[in-house]
Amino acid sequence: MHGTFIHLKRLLLASVACVLGAATLTYLVDPLQLFRPSRLAFYSDDTRVQNAGLIRSQSFDTAFIGTSLAIHFRQSDIDRVLGVHSLKLAMTGSNSRQQAFVLGQAIDRGARRVIWEMDDFIFVDAADIETDPYLSVDLYRRTAKGIASYLFSAAMAKDSLFALLRSIPPLRQPLTKAAPYLPVKFALSDVDDIYALPRDFDVARDYNAGKVLASFAYITASSRSRFLGEGYDYDAMVRHFEQDAVGLITRHPDVSFDIYFPPYSILQFVAMREASPETLKIVMDLTAHIAQRLTQLPNVRLHDFRAIKAVTHDLGNYGDVIHHSPVVDAKVLSWLASGQYRVDPNKPLASLDELKAQVEVYRVPQ
Amino acid sequence: MLFNSYPFILLFLPIVLAGYFGLGRRGNLAPVIWLALASVAFYAIGNWQFVALLLISIAFNYGIGHLLIVAKLGPSQRKAALALGVAGDLLVLGIFKYAGFAMENFNALFGTHVAVHILLPVGISFYTFTQIAFLVDAYRGQVAAYALPHYALFVTYFPHLIAGPILHHKDMIPQFEREETKHPDAHLILCGVIIFAIGLFKKTCLADGIQPLVALAFETRSPSFDQAWLGALAYTFQLYFDFAGYSDMAIGISLMFGIFLPVNFNSPYKATSIVAFWRRWHMTLSQFLRDYLYIPLGGNRRGRVLRYVNLMITMLLGGLWHGAAWTFVAWGALHGAYLCVNHAFNALMPNMPLSLARPTRVAGAVLTFLAVVVAWVFFRAVSLEWALRVLRAMADPANIVFGREEIAALVLVAIYASLVWLAPNTQDIMGYDHGNRRVGEALRAGGIRPVMLYGASLVLAFGILGIQSHSEFIYFRF
Repeated sequence: MHGTFIHLKRLLLASVACVLGAATLTYLVDPLQLFRPSRLAFYSDDTRVQNAGLIRSQSFDTAFIGTSLAIHFRQSDIDRVLGVHSLKLAMTGSNSRQQAFVLGQAIDRGARRVIWEMDDFIFVDAADIETDPYLSVDLYRRTAKGIASYLFSAAMAKDSLFALLRSIPPLRQPLTKAAPYLPVKFALSDVDDIYALPRDFDVARDYNAGKVLASFAYITASSRSRFLGEGYDYDAMVRHFEQDAVGLITRHPDVSFDIYFPPYSILQFVAMREASPETLKIVMDLTAHIAQRLTQLPNVRLHDFRAIKAVTHDLGNYGDVIHHSPVVDAKVLSWLASGQYRVDPNKPLASLDELKAQVEVYRVPQ
Repeated sequence: MLFNSYPFILLFLPIVLAGYFGLGRRGNLAPVIWLALASVAFYAIGNWQFVALLLISIAFNYGIGHLLIVAKLGPSQRKAALALGVAGDLLVLGIFKYAGFAMENFNALFGTHVAVHILLPVGISFYTFTQIAFLVDAYRGQVAAYALPHYALFVTYFPHLIAGPILHHKDMIPQFEREETKHPDAHLILCGVIIFAIGLFKKTCLADGIQPLVALAFETRSPSFDQAWLGALAYTFQLYFDFAGYSDMAIGISLMFGIFLPVNFNSPYKATSIVAFWRRWHMTLSQFLRDYLYIPLGGNRRGRVLRYVNLMITMLLGGLWHGAAWTFVAWGALHGAYLCVNHAFNALMPNMPLSLARPTRVAGAVLTFLAVVVAWVFFRAVSLEWALRVLRAMADPANIVFGREEIAALVLVAIYASLVWLAPNTQDIMGYDHGNRRVGEALRAGGIRPVMLYGASLVLAFGILGIQSHSEFIYFRF
């Protein structure tokens, strides 16, 4: 009996030692670069976690943020076209509260310019960021809780061990090549590759009219059309906009904001017109409010790409009703650089009115 | 409260163990009451609004049981008491679990818009079935009179309360009554910690680790062939490690208290037929359905056709037990059909030539696994339409993506498959013998080897490191 209790004690003590060993390994390797930048670091597509490390470890003067509409941009393209030193912080499915929080962190770490891809739907649901289960504010703030969750993590220990193996010279090359195909989180060797499409990506296969029309049929089907306007509430969305966007912008008058409404395909609005007109009205009213409000702020340049017919009516540019191809990504950068579609503060609703007219007359290809 | 949480591992469990064995020095009843109160507290943390329902259910069933066991009732009165008890249990289950589903179908049929919003009390399916079995056995005269604290502990016993295994009173209450269980047994505690560690590792590192891949099939609007298969396989392994992990943890925790819980898993994906699968997957539910539904319906005693009808009814209700949705009905129906085909095949081919035995077993294992994966698609999908979409993608090899993400997913799925098919299960590793109340005899005889000790330490450490903020067990929903 006594011997068994000794075994039990040994087992528990050895477990504690393993836990501490794993935490030490993670601290030393620091795969997220939360404590120190590293030239040998690898990167992850898990942007809500990865951004916490990027903000700490990268040098930048411009933060680029948005949802999945902004996820495929490459930092190198942004830098080349806009002449900035950018950090891409886009997060798929992110809401305005998460975006404002991450931007706030980036501004605190030196961003003087923000490029913000702003969707109307980010204002639908903006849960309290302090209790958001999908984005750890403690990790970004490096509180004791955030650091503990990072260090005492099996996934991070596993990735640290992999990084350690990858740093051994004979293993470096094969493991670096194999990493993207292995179940490791930090698999990308270049920060530019985070969520970027491969250079040889077959654009026509994933972005074509067939896919867009199928997507349109799907979201407008009578059994699903109620989801089109799910959660859309004008007053709540305006509140979220004021708190998250206006609040952030006015707190940082020394930072310049380039905010753009992305070029969704015309079918995004036509779907609402057909299946949920009340949602379309909310979207139009909300973006009218946003346009009027933002154009009055001195440190904001608002760009509206939603009525660029040559792009938005060409369904070959899209993978579904909203997501555009990398070809359009490049155009977005050039429009931002030229300011061609900048909203005139004296006529903040001009492009919106144009969009409304387009939506009204558009007929869906049969 | 979750087994895979720091408050449970670092606070709740040590305190309850200390109280149990501390009170064990003073008598045999106090530890039982302590454990029952601790179990109610365990349930109340996070589910406080359903504590009253749980306590009422216990009081109701204990009362009916008392009538059946102690009161001198005539046969018709006994039958009426049983009917009242079972109907009461099923009524409560029906209201809390199926009212919303019934109303949805009513609305769909008659174009009405009546909304029913009733929260599902966690564990209700488990504690209802446990108590129905008790009532039926009491009616059959197979139950001795139990004291209320022991009965209450039997129902609420926290290692099993929320997601099973489904316990049998004849197995559990005598263990609660034994005095020896109230004194700490270092060997059982050591084995319990190791089994708990294995279960925790299965849940936090394996089940939660593969969970993101499930989205490939079930959160993509139009998955490709490879995405659909990888997502379906990922769910197949996630569910396995999630439920097997929970069951191991339940057994491990219970062993620390000196109580042996029944085995719920026995490497089900190694089954060579669907009949064998159901003897290995969620074994306590299979036994319950067999003893309290299939056999009372007539089982295989009334000819082949009725046997198949009984099988279908049993599996359809087994499907509905898992959840109030048509997807679960479809899942149950599929398994019912599989079982009918399996039994029909056995009847047609009673004696397989010896030379064909091995290839038949291999083919049977592959076919069984594929059939189970297809059925899991219904189990996981949010609707029948979505399930059919995934299945259509699984049947369309012309549409393949096989990019970086899919290759990484394939590597992970292959690792999980090799674990499932090549690694021994927890009972084998630990020599857990529920029937004979034995565990870890090899350890006891030969002393624990350092490699075993430190291996277990590593598994426990990674199990703890794998704990994420909040990751419920899939079977909590049932």
